[in-house]
Amino acid sequence: MQTPFIRISNLTKHFQMGGTTVRALDGVDLDIPQKSFTVVMGPSGSGKSTLLYLLGGLDRPTSGQIAVNGLRLDEMDENKLALFRRQTVGFMFQSFNLIQSMTAEENVGFPMQFAGIPSKERTRRSKVLLEQVGLADRGGHKPSELSGGQQQRVAAARALVNNPNLILADEPTGNLDTTSGIGIMQLLADLHQSGRAVLVVTHDPRMVRFATHKVFLLDGKVVSETEYRAASLE
Amino acid sequence: MKLLDIVRLIFGNLNRRKGRVSLTAVGVVIGTAAVVILVSLAIGLQKNANEQLYGIGDLTQIQVSPSYGQGEVVYSGGGGGGGSKSTSASASSSSAPGAPKLLTNKALEDLSAIPGVMAVIPRDYMMGGLTLKYHRLESGSNVIGIGTDDLSSLGLEATQGGVVLAHGTVIIGPMVASNFYDPNQRPGQQTPAAPDLYDQQLTFVFIKYDQNGNEVHKTLTYRVSGVLAQTQGESDWSIYMQLDDLKVLNEWAMGRRINYNKDGYSLVIVKVDNVNNVLDITDQITAMGYQAYTPQSFVKGINNFYLVLQIIFGGVGAIALLVAAIGIANTMAMAILERTREIGLMKAVGATNRDVLSIFLGEAAGIGFLGGLGGVLIGWLAGYGINVIALVYLAQQSASQGGTPPSVAVSTPAWLPVFALVFATLIGLASGLYPALRAATLVPVQALKYE
Ligand SMILES: Nc1ncnc2c1ncn2[C@@H]1O[C@H](COP(=O)(O)OP(=O)(O)O)[C@@H](O)[C@H]1O
Ligand SMILES: [Mg+2]
Repeated sequence: MQTPFIRISNLTKHFQMGGTTVRALDGVDLDIPQKSFTVVMGPSGSGKSTLLYLLGGLDRPTSGQIAVNGLRLDEMDENKLALFRRQTVGFMFQSFNLIQSMTAEENVGFPMQFAGIPSKERTRRSKVLLEQVGLADRGGHKPSELSGGQQQRVAAARALVNNPNLILADEPTGNLDTTSGIGIMQLLADLHQSGRAVLVVTHDPRMVRFATHKVFLLDGKVVSETEYRAASLE
Repeated sequence: MKLLDIVRLIFGNLNRRKGRVSLTAVGVVIGTAAVVILVSLAIGLQKNANEQLYGIGDLTQIQVSPSYGQGEVVYSGGGGGGGSKSTSASASSSSAPGAPKLLTNKALEDLSAIPGVMAVIPRDYMMGGLTLKYHRLESGSNVIGIGTDDLSSLGLEATQGGVVLAHGTVIIGPMVASNFYDPNQRPGQQTPAAPDLYDQQLTFVFIKYDQNGNEVHKTLTYRVSGVLAQTQGESDWSIYMQLDDLKVLNEWAMGRRINYNKDGYSLVIVKVDNVNNVLDITDQITAMGYQAYTPQSFVKGINNFYLVLQIIFGGVGAIALLVAAIGIANTMAMAILERTREIGLMKAVGATNRDVLSIFLGEAAGIGFLGGLGGVLIGWLAGYGINVIALVYLAQQSASQGGTPPSVAVSTPAWLPVFALVFATLIGLASGLYPALRAATLVPVQALKYE
């Protein structure tokens, strides 16, 4: 059997809060294959976001190993991590994180500046991606002129702009109404269909029907679905 | 990240905070304008001073006088033979430090041997008193005996007659004639005009006192063979005669023989081939033990003074710029707090620490640059305005008081705006350093979560 796309072993992340240690992740082992749609579920504070950020190279583990595509994130320096984020990962956040002073098109093109892609090519690719997420006519609008669902679509286009293999989304529907939320879920499913690995942190049970893999977190530990259901009933 | 993209992003970011950026830049504008105006003023003052100094004498001449040893000041009244017997005796016996160094003919040969020296010309003053007479008019004057027959070797030119001295003739400075007055003039009577003395016989009445304090007179006449062009220096008011002629008169005045070879000359003019060598040769002569003076060391002193003035004035402006720097640092620190999430996002989409550092350093430098640009412009315009106003005022002043009006009040050399602009930009860069470093080293996940 070949090595999985993502391999996490004995991963811990601790935070020092005053005198106490918060074990946000407490010995996580996880394998995620290529082109999977993984849904991470768990109650608030169970360590879902922490896991996602560690996977995206936005933070460093306290101990343990993370390998993506055979590359060990826990051994990379700052520059290599930046390169990894630029080439391999696309992020989506609950609060979109669009730059308010830029138009939709500029927001989508923003990451390509750091990759040194020429301005003409940036504009061209941004237009294509905005069209792909159904916002072809909204390229010149600022985020404040767009609905929440539309803003998250812009963020999705931005996540795709460097053509990453891995899409990480932290509660992407958390700030959206039901209809917009379903639209975003469909969009993520499409991205998965186009051959990418997608990992979504969510509370939303409707997301589960798209999942090829499910991960349940309780107090920083991965548990089975049965254990998770049992705990949820209490 | 491409440089053009960085620059575009920086100015885009500055543009979206126009209000705060311009308020911060005002400090830089004031500081830069102050640097430009004050340094220009110092340079203008120096230019004026140098213009006025132009007449202080030939800058290729060094005046060398003998040194009479430390503490042992026997030098009495500037005469070539004025030194006492003991002084001249010790001159031949010793050349130890502190011993007298006299300007004998041997010394003149040594001076001539210095590379770059074109001529070594001894000169001497008139001992005793003198009254000049021309018809009914009288005058006193400064008589110089000069050890060359050709005054052109001192850089002097004639407006009437020539500059070659012959036995029994004198060459006079252009202002000498205006010194003549009528001793019998009654109050209310008109002052006589200055006589044209060229080719006229001048009567010299030499005066000395004998042992009993009685005045003794001696009267001689000399023909004026030339009138010198104006130099604004000593020569304007002086009468030049041959050193040998003067020696005879001084021997009469002192009642003893003068031996220049033994007593030395009181003053020697060393003429140097090139202005740039003057200070160097002056130092060599001083090292030989003589006293050497050149107007150039004076000019150099003045220039040093104005350099110090420039530095002080520039420093005042620089202090204003430092205050502005604190403003920039503050604005940048605020910007980084407000844009923490944006920094987190930049990192999430692949910006390196260096990219973030460049952007925020660039924004700080950009504020410095924009402020500097405004300051240079304002400083330059203000300098221009000051010139227009000051020159009108100064021209009126010199019209009522005489003298040539200054050509500039404030002078801005081309390097100054360039320097000020670069300096303001660097100040911005330096004040952005700490905030930008903080931004660059933020942990991405914490920046993204920042509220
Ligand atoms: N920067 C931090 N400092 C201290 N504690 C943190 C920090 N980030 C997360 N935590 C804690 O770690 C735990 C897991 O957080 P998180 O991964 O955000 O949970 P979830 O996303 O599942 O709601 C929580 O108890 C949270 O308070
Ligand atoms: Mg979370």
